[in-house]
Amino acid sequence: MVLLRQIRLLLLAELRQEVRSFEVVLTSAFFSVVMMALFALSLGALPVESQLMAVPGALWLSVAFVGSLTLTRVFDRERESDTLRALLVGPVNRMAIYFSKAAVALLVLLLATAVLVPGLIVIFPGAAPMAERPLFSAAMVLLGCVGYVAVGTLFAAGLAAGSGKNVLLSLILHPLTTPVLMFNLVATRALLEAHPGADAYLGRLAAVDVVLVVLGAWLFEPVLVGGGGGGAAAAAGRRARGGAGR
Amino acid sequence: MIRRFLPDGMLLASAVIFPYSVARIFLDTPIERTMGTAFKIFFFHVPMGWLTMLMAVICGVAAAIELRRRSMTASAVALAAAELGFVCGLGVLLTGPIWGNATWGKPWTGDARQMSTALLWLVIAAYLLIRHYGPSGSKRLAAGLAIFGAVDVPIIYYAVKLWKTTHPTTEVVGSLPPALWAAFWPGLGAILLCTFGLMGLRIRQLVLAEQLDEAWVRVSDREATDGTDPT
Repeated sequence: MVLLRQIRLLLLAELRQEVRSFEVVLTSAFFSVVMMALFALSLGALPVESQLMAVPGALWLSVAFVGSLTLTRVFDRERESDTLRALLVGPVNRMAIYFSKAAVALLVLLLATAVLVPGLIVIFPGAAPMAERPLFSAAMVLLGCVGYVAVGTLFAAGLAAGSGKNVLLSLILHPLTTPVLMFNLVATRALLEAHPGADAYLGRLAAVDVVLVVLGAWLFEPVLVGGGGGGAAAAAGRRARGGAGR
Repeated sequence: MIRRFLPDGMLLASAVIFPYSVARIFLDTPIERTMGTAFKIFFFHVPMGWLTMLMAVICGVAAAIELRRRSMTASAVALAAAELGFVCGLGVLLTGPIWGNATWGKPWTGDARQMSTALLWLVIAAYLLIRHYGPSGSKRLAAGLAIFGAVDVPIIYYAVKLWKTTHPTTEVVGSLPPALWAAFWPGLGAILLCTFGLMGLRIRQLVLAEQLDEAWVRVSDREATDGTDPT
């Protein structure tokens, strides 16, 4: 219960901050439109049967790039004021930090896909099955974004907590999230081709998501403040005794 | 004593077995009817593929131990495994297209396992980049990356079964005739011994480098306390 209350409080704080300027939402939505325009220019002339292969790629590549931008901006705010460090030394469950940040990033990403998916349906006639099965499409996009955010939040936070440059996020994020994106690509293509086993892909996506969320939440504290029990305070104690790195 | 010379012994054994295995592969096994001489790649490609996966798993497990216990040895094992995984992965990605060209008529078919192996290699490369060029404190971040990389390994295996693939299934290895098996094992043994020998040497070197750094810091601290210049 304490964890849920902490997640809710942190999430509300994040949302309040976002509502003041709409910075992350607007930049992500605008970037989604830019990505759509680029895909329309490069792939818009494809015949419908080729679009069945192009649309999944356009959708999930856009999600990958918009997600990368979103995560960078979400944690830039923390970096600018060094507030992530303050949160980490505060009496807050680290998992609450992870889940609240992931929830914010997920919300922004879902808003971006709310621009992306209808846009792709308008641009590419081959994407029409996504409009015909809105529930399946929504579930697929949600599951895909959850997997992406589960991985991304961990590493964006890791870079924000240290002195790492944001450019490293793309270096880490894209190779690691490609398996999730590949599952999403297959599910989207199955939907567009009206594959009879398309529903089974949602189950697989959910299973991959569970693995990634559990792993991300479990690794959040060790990656940010170090493992070995006791977190930052214990680490500081060990350093003071000259035992760091042993 | 055994531990001290084990890596050197493994490299020595590998140096003896490797020429023997090459002779077996090129002189004692018949030329495959459809693929011709390119089939010989199989004897190097498959062991390196297995080793890439194994090294990714070792790297992930060692990284988890490093995160949990802050172990210097585990950190060294993770880095050494990643470096060898990178080399083996590069070998797989270079020999694979030669095989593909002989079998499917083109070097890169976008096949699921090709893509997944390339992906795993990219994760290993990203780990090495973070370890070597990351900012201070990026060891933990790299460890998280390695753990996710290790989790990718079963996903990669599953991908072969899930997606339509032109790649030989894993059962192909099991259906080899006895003559080819007889040539396969010495080669696998030589590559395994060479890899683990190099890994042992690299771990020892990394641990020694870390100990040297710590000794230097201790001496510097002591000299600073005494008020004399450490240099």
